[in-house]
Amino acid sequence: MSLINEKKDFKIIADLIPAKSSVIDVGCNDGSLLEFLKEEKNIDGRGMEIDQQKVQLCLSKGISVIEGDADLDLYDYPDNLFDYSILTYTLQATKSPKNVLSELVRISSKAIISFPNFGHWKIASSLLLKRKMPISEKLSYSWHETPNLHFCTINDFIDLCDEVGIRIEKQANLKTNKLNKFNGKNLLNSYFNEVGLFLVSKIKN
Amino acid sequence: MSENKIVELAKEQALVLDCGKSLKSIKTAYTTYGKLNAAKDNAILICHALTGDQYVASNHPITKKEGWWSYIVGPEKPIDTNKFFVVCPNVIGGCMGSTGPKEVNSETGKEYGTDFPVITIADMVRAQKLLIDYLGIEKIFCVTGGSMGGMLVLEWLSKFPEMVHSAIPIATATNHSAQNIALNELARQSIMADPNWNSGNYYNSDNKPLKGLSVARMAAHISYLSKDALHSKFGRNLQDKNSLDYSFDADFQIESYLRHQGFTFVDRFDANSYLYITRAMDYFDVSSSNNGSLIESFKNTSSKVLCISFTSDWLYPTSENKKIVKVFNTLGINVSFIEIETDGGHDSFLLEEPKLFEAMQGFIKSTYENL
Repeated sequence: MSLINEKKDFKIIADLIPAKSSVIDVGCNDGSLLEFLKEEKNIDGRGMEIDQQKVQLCLSKGISVIEGDADLDLYDYPDNLFDYSILTYTLQATKSPKNVLSELVRISSKAIISFPNFGHWKIASSLLLKRKMPISEKLSYSWHETPNLHFCTINDFIDLCDEVGIRIEKQANLKTNKLNKFNGKNLLNSYFNEVGLFLVSKIKN
Repeated sequence: MSENKIVELAKEQALVLDCGKSLKSIKTAYTTYGKLNAAKDNAILICHALTGDQYVASNHPITKKEGWWSYIVGPEKPIDTNKFFVVCPNVIGGCMGSTGPKEVNSETGKEYGTDFPVITIADMVRAQKLLIDYLGIEKIFCVTGGSMGGMLVLEWLSKFPEMVHSAIPIATATNHSAQNIALNELARQSIMADPNWNSGNYYNSDNKPLKGLSVARMAAHISYLSKDALHSKFGRNLQDKNSLDYSFDADFQIESYLRHQGFTFVDRFDANSYLYITRAMDYFDVSSSNNGSLIESFKNTSSKVLCISFTSDWLYPTSENKKIVKVFNTLGINVSFIEIETDGGHDSFLLEEPKLFEAMQGFIKSTYENL
């Protein structure tokens, strides 16, 4: 998805990750985020990507990448192998967002997750006023050709984290480029953020 | 083009084999391409498969055909011989000049035949290490190979991890499955059922076990292809005829093709070598020296690895290759994996497969740039 190449997101993600962390980018696309993090934070990075052409691109850049599917292949990693896992704009395209989320916080200490917020006022008003499935910069596909299976709003995501036993530590505001301490669910959050970008971790029993 | 070279190693100190016996004055036949640079950091070791040999990129002296990986090895090719120093040895137990059953045992003055000790994949790697030491290479830039060649790659990663900077095991497995052992046993039984085999003593006879070896090759060849490829290449087409013969001649094209594969194979391969090498593959379990623990077997590996499988390979399927990836992932090894979609079956690693070339080239080039 074209969204992934937004350098703005990259910068915020880099701010969340301490130097020299081990990182897996699930759905790593052409590896540009991993390259960016290598440059900025000297991370030890790994990628997973379902699209073979992009896997080839990663290989040619020297990125260690597994051709794989977030729904199926995260199970192959042991617990806490990575410091950070990253899933950008992919959650909504997985068959089971719940299992993928659980797996991400199992294989890494912390996970960074971003997704297009279906609750954003522009999206919601397209549905409400035009009675049309929304198409925006962040949701660029027509309803009949979208790879996205499970749209959610920021509030839905917060609920799912609760259900799976995941703590939300930080949320990014991509408009102001700021990282905020997470203050719980509220309507404005879901209304005005086009993208949800969260730093989460597993609640330890 | 590289000329075949033969070097005799382990002259003073014999190589102790897994079976407990030892081999002294081991001959290794090998080819090299390109030049070893001053830093000695550009060596690529290519490991051949069961019926392969050292003629990886030069014409075969018997068949006169192009090298078995000439798509991949050569100037400007994925393994670029303008940049890299390529070494390809014939495995011990083989029949193209390295010490094996058809070579003369200096102690008896006669061919080894079945007196040759049963060797393993690890033994082959130990012999390859002697060659690499002899060539003055302390760290191999990349070890690669498909099928049995991939087993040798895994053994290198396990036994001599500090000597391997990167590796590309292709269409392989950490051990031989029951199905693979069964197919090899079928091949061995067909050789041993040939009266000309004569318990392995046929080197000085006019009658060699060509029929048995030919049938062994036919059976194996089926396992290298996929059902879809066989169907699209041959279907039920008849060979140079319009109707069935109601005989046991080769009516179908596939029969004629397999017979041809069998006939031509015997010109270049030794029946006893076939027994020994298939046995080594069956015995292969890279974790055997670590009580079956793959984690223990690769715990010292820090090489960069690219694993490659093919969708239609039922002999060394993707699932077997992914097992390797899983172990490497668990150990935090820098592993990449790609599954190439093709109907070419197990043989795909020997075929013109652009996606294979692209993956290898991308990995090798970027890994060398980041050396």
